[in-house]
Amino acid sequence: MDQLFDFSLFNSMLRMIAPILLAALGGAICARVGIFNVGLEGLMLTGAFTAIVGNHLFHNVWLAVLFAAVCAGLMSLILAYLTISLNANMIVVGVALNFLATGLTTYCLFAIFHVKGSYYDPNMTGLPKWNIPQISGDSFLGILTGHSPLVYLAFVLAFALQFFFFRTVRGFRMLAAGEHPAAARSLGIKIDRIRYAAVLASGVLCGLAGAQLSLGQVTQFTENMTAGRGFIALVAVMLGQNNPLGVTLSSLLFGLMEAISIRLQGFSLPTQFTMMVPYIVTLAAMFFFKDRAYLQQSGRIEGR
Amino acid sequence: MRLMQLITRSLREWIHPLAALLLGLAAGAVAILAVGGSVAETYAEMWKGAFGSFYYAMNTLARATPIMLIGLGVALAFRAGFFNLGAEGQLLLGALAAAVTALYLPAPPEMRMIAALAAGIVAGGAWSLFAGWLDLRFRMNLLITTLLLNYIAVYLASYFVSFPLKDTSGSAAINQTNMVDRAVWLPKLFKGMSVHAGFIIAAAAAVVLFLFLRHTIAGYHLRMHGSNPLFAIYGGVRRGRLMMAAMLASGGFAGLAGAVEVLGTQYRYIDNALTAPGYAWSGIMAALLAGSHPLGTAAAAILLAALQTGGMGVERNTEVPLEIASVIQAAIILFISARFTYAFFKRRKARSSDGPAV
Repeated sequence: MDQLFDFSLFNSMLRMIAPILLAALGGAICARVGIFNVGLEGLMLTGAFTAIVGNHLFHNVWLAVLFAAVCAGLMSLILAYLTISLNANMIVVGVALNFLATGLTTYCLFAIFHVKGSYYDPNMTGLPKWNIPQISGDSFLGILTGHSPLVYLAFVLAFALQFFFFRTVRGFRMLAAGEHPAAARSLGIKIDRIRYAAVLASGVLCGLAGAQLSLGQVTQFTENMTAGRGFIALVAVMLGQNNPLGVTLSSLLFGLMEAISIRLQGFSLPTQFTMMVPYIVTLAAMFFFKDRAYLQQSGRIEGR
Repeated sequence: MRLMQLITRSLREWIHPLAALLLGLAAGAVAILAVGGSVAETYAEMWKGAFGSFYYAMNTLARATPIMLIGLGVALAFRAGFFNLGAEGQLLLGALAAAVTALYLPAPPEMRMIAALAAGIVAGGAWSLFAGWLDLRFRMNLLITTLLLNYIAVYLASYFVSFPLKDTSGSAAINQTNMVDRAVWLPKLFKGMSVHAGFIIAAAAAVVLFLFLRHTIAGYHLRMHGSNPLFAIYGGVRRGRLMMAAMLASGGFAGLAGAVEVLGTQYRYIDNALTAPGYAWSGIMAALLAGSHPLGTAAAAILLAALQTGGMGVERNTEVPLEIASVIQAAIILFISARFTYAFFKRRKARSSDGPAV
């Protein structure tokens, strides 16, 4: 088993889960205010693409990340406007947003870079890797060093959000808006504004997630490169019970499974089975950690 | 007088989808201008690619066939109040089961064809039923389980076709099963055209589903549960049974779509051949576009297929890429969804807490 588990496994796990974690935190914020954001996938894809566009336009990786966050944020406003102001069904809008992102990114890939499939420019610089000087790469703590800044940001944000939700007044108001909108409204909390802010925040976070995807590992954009990570983030939100730290744990679980599945390919198993592992484990995890809101709702329906 | 009323009423029903279609095309026009294409020329090419000749029109109908069947299944589940996003997995397993049955069942060809179609329905239905059962028995969120089961089905089907069932006679580069006997193929409707008997099956299914929802007691129960589950249960509808039946039928439609595609177009199961064109998501889009009305779903499926085949025509003859079709599709859905007040919205209003809308 020592071939299966070693430090580099955990190191690659942290890298892999950063996009999922960032998007999942966005999803958790939305879920807390009562919005089920199915559009995470599309928002992340938008972020991944616009990060490359930003890099191409500004020749600066930080401006590129900012550009991705802004663009994905703008995209998320479509979702916010339709679901909050026009009362459209959020799942329908989310699904439509995913389509829009797939279509627009592929279309713009051709319109801007005149290529199909994927775009790669060797002159582009990706996100830098930050080393923590006190930690050497060989020890167990070595898994913590040498990641892109967005990886660290993801984990810092998870703790910050936990603090924000459960230890600050603003966070409490946000929870109230999701928990019982009518009661919150009667206290003078502006629910629609909070919801807009939540969706916008999820858009920005998905933009960062996308930037990590397209600028973090290899500096390139591929059609549909999110490959279902947005949906996985949705699962992580649910498994983590909309709790930032819980979401972090469930993302870690998924990342570990993904890292293991890549590692298992060395064991002469058919790749299809190793690739299936993360999804099966997630399904199994759903069995043990259930979505409370969903339980409540279906319980009410069944009169239990 | 009554005729006038009827006309104004149906006009009012149609005005929103038509407006959304126009807005979608307008959004497409912006995208075309952005790459420096000519709007009129591009849309003319799109029309030609979709309906420009009998051959192209039949091609569009062939593409619409699986989208229609999937859309009907999704619409059925939506109508009952269940978000089945697992059409892709159900489609693949249906296709695989149909291919295996058509290849290996020792029976006369006609029997084999029918058995293959049935196997497709059963496999798709069973996969969908599994998600329904997980929800019912263990309260696992249906929307998420159907999504996860998609990935598992994709890899499972890919495994079977890459190893045990792989066609070793032909090119090793493509993972595919052996070719099905010519006698088991679904007949083509016109010689030399790609549209096959599956289209008739899909059209008939749309009419049957429409009549079922409108004129049968079970259909009424299903719609009632979709509009207001609490009321339906109070009225004595058994939720568990309804859910299982709805999920079984919904997956069955998707499985049938896979079977029809294998027996009518591809004659074998080819890895990625059903996922790459995005049939499953197009089917879901069709159901959304039509507000889950069966006949509307069928029409929307043809519209989406026309946009897609038209997009190919655009790419062949102009500088504008094929993805213009996806941009228009998504824009139409966004505009449609703005009014999608339907059953789900009513449910949302009925609840005091605004939890997930599933």
